[in-house]
Amino acid sequence: MASGRDVRDMLGLPMGGDVQKGAVQKRAKVAAPVRRIQGVAREVAALYGERPPPVAVYEAKKAYRAKRQNQGPAKKWVQQPFINQARTDGLVLKHWRRKPTTAPAVQDGEDVPMEEGDNTEPQVEINGDYLKYKIEVDIPTFSDEEYEAHLRSDDWSREETDYLFQVVKDYSYRWAVIWDRYDYQPAHKSHLPQQTANSEASQALAALPFAPPKQRTLEDLKARFYQISAKLMKLRIPEMQMDAEQYATYEMLSTFNPELEGNRKLLAAALMNRSMDEVKEEEFLLAELQRINMAAHRLDAERAELRARLEAPASNQQVSAGMSSFTSSQALQALFQQLFQQDRSKKRASGGSGGPSRISLTTNDLIQTPSSANAQMSAAARRQSMATNQSVQTPIRTLSPQQEYRYNVSTHDRLTSGVTFGSDKLLKMRQAKSNVQTQKIATALAELGVPEVISLPTSKVSDVFEQLIGKVSKLLDVRKVREKEEGECRVLEQMKERRNSEAQNGHVSMSNGTSVEPQAKQEIPDSQEQTPGVDAEGEADDDDNNGADGVADADGDGDGEVEADAEGEEDDEDAEGEEDSRVPSETVSRAASVGHKRSASVLSQGSNKDSKRARK
Amino acid sequence: MNNLNSSATPAAGEYAGDEVSAIVLDPGYSSVRAGFAGEDVPKSVCPSWYGQIDSDSGPQYLFGENAIYRPAPNLQIKNYWGADGVVEDWDTAAKLWEYAITSRLTGTRASDPSKNGLNDDPKENGNGEAMDVNMETIENQEKPLEESPLLMTEPGWNPTKAREKAIEIAMEEWGTPAFYLQKTGVLAAFASGKASGIIIDVGASHTSVTPVLDGMVLKKGVQKSPLAGNFVSNQIRLGFKRSQPEIPLTPHYLVKSKTQVDAGSPAQAVYRTFDTPPTDSFRYYQEERVLTEYKESVVEVWPGPGRLSNGTNEEIAKSMPGRPFEMPDGWNQVFGVDRFKAAEGLFDANAALTDDANPRPKDEHTLPRLVQAAVQHVDADQRPILLQNIVVTGASTLLYKFGDRLNYEINNIYPSTRNKLIAPGPVVERKYAAWIGGSILASLGSFHQLWISKKEYEEQGANIVEKRCR
Repeated sequence: MASGRDVRDMLGLPMGGDVQKGAVQKRAKVAAPVRRIQGVAREVAALYGERPPPVAVYEAKKAYRAKRQNQGPAKKWVQQPFINQARTDGLVLKHWRRKPTTAPAVQDGEDVPMEEGDNTEPQVEINGDYLKYKIEVDIPTFSDEEYEAHLRSDDWSREETDYLFQVVKDYSYRWAVIWDRYDYQPAHKSHLPQQTANSEASQALAALPFAPPKQRTLEDLKARFYQISAKLMKLRIPEMQMDAEQYATYEMLSTFNPELEGNRKLLAAALMNRSMDEVKEEEFLLAELQRINMAAHRLDAERAELRARLEAPASNQQVSAGMSSFTSSQALQALFQQLFQQDRSKKRASGGSGGPSRISLTTNDLIQTPSSANAQMSAAARRQSMATNQSVQTPIRTLSPQQEYRYNVSTHDRLTSGVTFGSDKLLKMRQAKSNVQTQKIATALAELGVPEVISLPTSKVSDVFEQLIGKVSKLLDVRKVREKEEGECRVLEQMKERRNSEAQNGHVSMSNGTSVEPQAKQEIPDSQEQTPGVDAEGEADDDDNNGADGVADADGDGDGEVEADAEGEEDDEDAEGEEDSRVPSETVSRAASVGHKRSASVLSQGSNKDSKRARK
Repeated sequence: MNNLNSSATPAAGEYAGDEVSAIVLDPGYSSVRAGFAGEDVPKSVCPSWYGQIDSDSGPQYLFGENAIYRPAPNLQIKNYWGADGVVEDWDTAAKLWEYAITSRLTGTRASDPSKNGLNDDPKENGNGEAMDVNMETIENQEKPLEESPLLMTEPGWNPTKAREKAIEIAMEEWGTPAFYLQKTGVLAAFASGKASGIIIDVGASHTSVTPVLDGMVLKKGVQKSPLAGNFVSNQIRLGFKRSQPEIPLTPHYLVKSKTQVDAGSPAQAVYRTFDTPPTDSFRYYQEERVLTEYKESVVEVWPGPGRLSNGTNEEIAKSMPGRPFEMPDGWNQVFGVDRFKAAEGLFDANAALTDDANPRPKDEHTLPRLVQAAVQHVDADQRPILLQNIVVTGASTLLYKFGDRLNYEINNIYPSTRNKLIAPGPVVERKYAAWIGGSILASLGSFHQLWISKKEYEEQGANIVEKRCR
């Protein structure tokens, strides 16, 4: 229709089509209400009145066969003799074929029989339709010379080999059938050995009529055939010139192992002849295995689901609703406007109170881990709200410290760009400025039993580790100082001794000096004994053990403070967002102060306990 | 819808068929099936039993149901099959087969319409008759199968001599242009659309289990046993004799009229009398017909699990509702557990009823053992394949619940393989599976290169059948 109108349009003809179309439409309108009920007689349909019943009973439409076209007189069929080309003996069989339409058919009734005779007899159809089914298998062949040179076998006579090849050919490599029909009778060929009896006694012996025919297994037959095939293949085509396919065949033929094959068949038969109980047991085990597998799958699926749930955005109704509402361009436009407004207000805020809001904006943007998204968002919003003096309308949800601890919420005043591994951080801490110091730290950590690689470097672990490293480095410093002091002491004492000897008081002072030294020497192994216990506690908690010692005060204080700091730090981080920035420096300073205290106490305490601590 | 149009030739590659009006002949112990290849049912089924009336002028043979069911004096009913499942009486066999073919299939040859006497003037009646007689003598000289190649079936254990005899008859007596001999097992497998499988054929005289691989019988695995339909009949006879009171077995021909009686009470019938009573063999054959009816309507195989004698199975069988049966003379009874016992011997040699004439069957002749033996003689790799295609054929497998029991027994022997029983539902397909397979085979275009032609037979002699029909 459209094309017709286009043509009219192009040719500038009056729109006759419109008129037609109108007519058609009118006709359609008229036709529509009067719906003919099919399959019902006209009179019955009239009884329905204006409105046909809602469910009309339709008779199955009578399917009439298409009217037969009259194509002249009935076609004749004849029994056409034919020769199947797949046969060599020229057997003539007859099948029914359409009589070939010859030029003007003679309409003489009397001539019909004669005509049939004329037509059918001379024309013998040559039928090659089924030639493709005449297939013979390829069998390797060999000449007598080849046989003599390469293929001789003690177990197989030439006749039997020939027989084997014939059978293989007859049954086209169906080994199961070949083995079934293989029935070699040496006596059958007794006339042959008679001729060669003089030359080959062994063959004659093998072919003696009373020699019972050997019972060959299928593997024997295969082995012989494959061996010959492989040898012949190698003779025809040297190994070097074989293409991949040929070589694969060759290799397969030459590596055939009848024993292996026989054993395999034995096993297969044994498998088949299992008793009902064995089969049931296997079925039971299989069912069990399946059950276990299914349980494992279910567990995996549940875990995956859980993981997905942890990673997926919280199923926030608002968000999802928002996402679905942002499908139209108008909604997107509105969203853009909203975001733009927010951004502007933030900018204003940053202008007002400086630094952190800028950062907060970036953190807000960077948030990708949805589990903490809410909390982070709220933290950021809190910060923002503090900066903008509660000017932002978003409601803030504050988490209690316990909740923050539970949900592992942490806030950072500054985020380093990029992603770092917690383990890297830990590794960095191990490194000191000098190599010697690094090694010392490493040995100290080794003594404490801290592994090289910490498997779960969470933020808390890294915090504790940081503290530990701090302590270690302090102690190392202290040791250095102590060694220096001891050296000075020794020098001074020696000077004193010299002076004493000069002053003729040698005996008393000498005894004093010797008494001091061995004490120190005794103490050292002692302290070493004690260290492990101390170590263990030193890492985790305060040194309650040392309470008995004189150091207890200082140490206990120091450690307690550090711990308190650590907690306080967490609290600070969680609760006081803004003030976070100062906290680390504080802790550091406090830690330093602790170190100082400790060193002071150590110094004050003297050699014994000092050495103990130093070792640690 | 693709309805075949009678005026169009089927497309060449459509069904690979090329019908040359070959005739398929499937002789069995109970009946001989013959028909044109390409049809789905044998057109001519006639009993393998034949009537023989000895007279001074030589024996007269009667073939076909109509002839041998009619009581006549001195009528002997015989079967040409030997006890070992091989044709014994070749002369009669050839006559019977020829009757089966010519009576329904080829008929007498149509002669030239100008000479067949129908168009002759009545005036020349005398001359015409003379001509007819002449023509008939000429026709009789013509051989019955000049036009049709013949595909014959044989049991799996057919010896070489019998095969050679078969081709001799076909070529020389019937003048067939081409001949082929195929094993029933293979053909039954073909009828079910399988080229490989184990064919369990429970016929009248023999049960055979034939492993077939790629359309070839594995000869070492062919098993046969005499536990088949006739064995079941004998079991029923024994059962009738043993029951208290003895159950009378009266064939139809003896009964003139009967009146209804209560179950178990003696029959009240008027019997026919004969001047010279029919022979024992005639009576036996007629009794067999009654027993066949009994087998069809009453006998049931215990479907498993377990044998009938196991545990409480017999009690369960007793509690099942019985089946009524009425003898031709009106005697009737409801058969309970006895109906299970008749066929139990096929599966369990211990359960068979025995007497002096019917010794206990050998254990290795029971069906499960036959299947086991057949499978055992096949290459280990092929066993699972064969067990997936167990084709059940033969009229005796139509015994009620036979398939269930066989399935149970086979799964009991080979619990670890996937065993599948293929038992066609339609009775015709079960009874004539070998013939149907032959009909399929002989109508294939690709089969025509396998025929042994007359020329080949003349060149190489009867032994060609050994080389070609493997």
